[in-house]
Amino acid sequence: MSLQPPGDKRASLADAVSLVSDGATVALGGGLSARLPMAMVRELVRQGRRGLHLVGSAHSIDVDLLVAAGAVRRLEESYVGFEQDLGLAPAYRRAAEEGSIEVAESCCATILAQLRAAEMGLPFLPVRGVRGSDIARLHPEYAEVTCPFTEETLVAVPPLRPDVALLHAPAGDRYGNLHLEQPYVLDERFAAASAMVVATVDELVSTDYMVASGVTIPAHLVAAVAEAPFGAHPSSCYPRYAYDRGHLREYVSAAQSGTADLDKYLATYVNGSEESYRAAVGAGRLAALAAWSRSATAWQELFT
Amino acid sequence: MSWTIDEWFVIALARTIRPRETVFHGFGSPCAQVAMHVARRTHAPDMTLVEGAMYAVNPDPPFIPPTSNDASLSRGAAYSMRFEEFFDAAIRGDVDRMFLSGGQIDGFGNTNVTAIGPAGRPKVKLGGGGGGCNLSATIGALTLWTTRHRSGRTLVESCDFITDIGHRTPLGGRAELGFTGGGPQWLVTELGVFDFRDGRARLVQVFPDVSVADVRTATGFPLEVAGDLRTVAPPSTAELATVRSVDPLKVRTSEFSRRELDRAFERGDGQDCAC
Repeated sequence: MSLQPPGDKRASLADAVSLVSDGATVALGGGLSARLPMAMVRELVRQGRRGLHLVGSAHSIDVDLLVAAGAVRRLEESYVGFEQDLGLAPAYRRAAEEGSIEVAESCCATILAQLRAAEMGLPFLPVRGVRGSDIARLHPEYAEVTCPFTEETLVAVPPLRPDVALLHAPAGDRYGNLHLEQPYVLDERFAAASAMVVATVDELVSTDYMVASGVTIPAHLVAAVAEAPFGAHPSSCYPRYAYDRGHLREYVSAAQSGTADLDKYLATYVNGSEESYRAAVGAGRLAALAAWSRSATAWQELFT
Repeated sequence: MSWTIDEWFVIALARTIRPRETVFHGFGSPCAQVAMHVARRTHAPDMTLVEGAMYAVNPDPPFIPPTSNDASLSRGAAYSMRFEEFFDAAIRGDVDRMFLSGGQIDGFGNTNVTAIGPAGRPKVKLGGGGGGCNLSATIGALTLWTTRHRSGRTLVESCDFITDIGHRTPLGGRAELGFTGGGPQWLVTELGVFDFRDGRARLVQVFPDVSVADVRTATGFPLEVAGDLRTVAPPSTAELATVRSVDPLKVRTSEFSRRELDRAFERGDGQDCAC
């Protein structure tokens, strides 16, 4: 594995996303309702990408939208859904029940061990759980190993080395240094374990600004960076904006009701460009999400 | 004083937390999430609360949002763990308790959050288990819960798919599997509370508007009932006030059917307990 050589990594969103090939193993950054790389997800749909193998921890609209658009062949996520609030992920659920996607459901801690094995260049790492769980049956690649010191039986899991990690950050510089706020979820591990990181940032800033705010993902792991304002919307990207529960509800309702409504969602929000996406969501709505920090009351009201 | 089942249920969950424990809830678990803050503000002020998918340590959120990784959940915390810091702590045995739920739960406390029906071609594809299939092996004790006991489909003879591990699976018991955590200790439902004796769920408390026959009808595994079956102790004034102040958006109610939310309880003046 070699690190990315230094240089100006700025790219258009379309060029950045074209680094993802059909059939690639893709790690999506963020998780649940936070910092999902949605601008890149939408661009993957626009570019008609097919046959993706998605890996990650707990995800929602990012995975569901890619499944809805027919971009996914196989999934190794620990969870896909909209929590108790909006429930099961409609397109993911439908595709799994019809058998049109392969679901090798995994576990957050197992994926973490597999990413660490890849980062360290090791052929496996052991985990203590998983035995007795039917999750093991979904993974014929797991094996059992006896510890040479304690003679305990543990489950050995192979390295997980995604072809590309798609990460969104609130800020980054032209060289690909990225600053994240918590939750980092698995982004740091994805960055080190993947063959390549492709990033979007809400705003490109100077390197001095990056150094002052703290570099979370360094330039030498990043292949390309594209500026995409509100690039995580409808998920959150603090400190810039809160998640858009109303938009998530609109998506879930469209995806639940079937092809016609889903096509309408895609036509309204996805098929055009990020500029037309932001216009369709509305400047007023985006401004309200960005004003979450005015008061605890304003913040709370965003979620009612 | 009057209260509803969602408030009482959260309080019953909170009471499973012991002082000084380090406690965690998974994502998509509003009742457990609210319960942890209630425990920390009532009987367990010295617990270490690790907040869901933010991994924030002892935060004081201004409200509980409808998602588990919103930044509001880390407000007031001096530190949020990295994802890997939390999982490392849990796997090496430094987390004392976790709350886990499931679309199906069997009498050994195994849970299914993966799929109803055959896994290859499920009748219903559930969301998935997050970190449960490793965490259930090593965390000190598990509090299981469900708000869908009455449906008759949740507490089952055997799970269609075992995601998270209870006291015994077809491959053996926890000791044979090499697990270091203690497994399920409590199962709290909207009908009552179970403990686990010899690794099997046993009904030890019921809510006062529920009979043992109701519980038996709703339970798919043979119901064992404790000799000293009790009624769930009513909320104290402090517990109830805390539920309401911690959860102004009432995210806890999203776990209940409308019919259950109609269950209201009251206690006349002067009968308040001395807690």
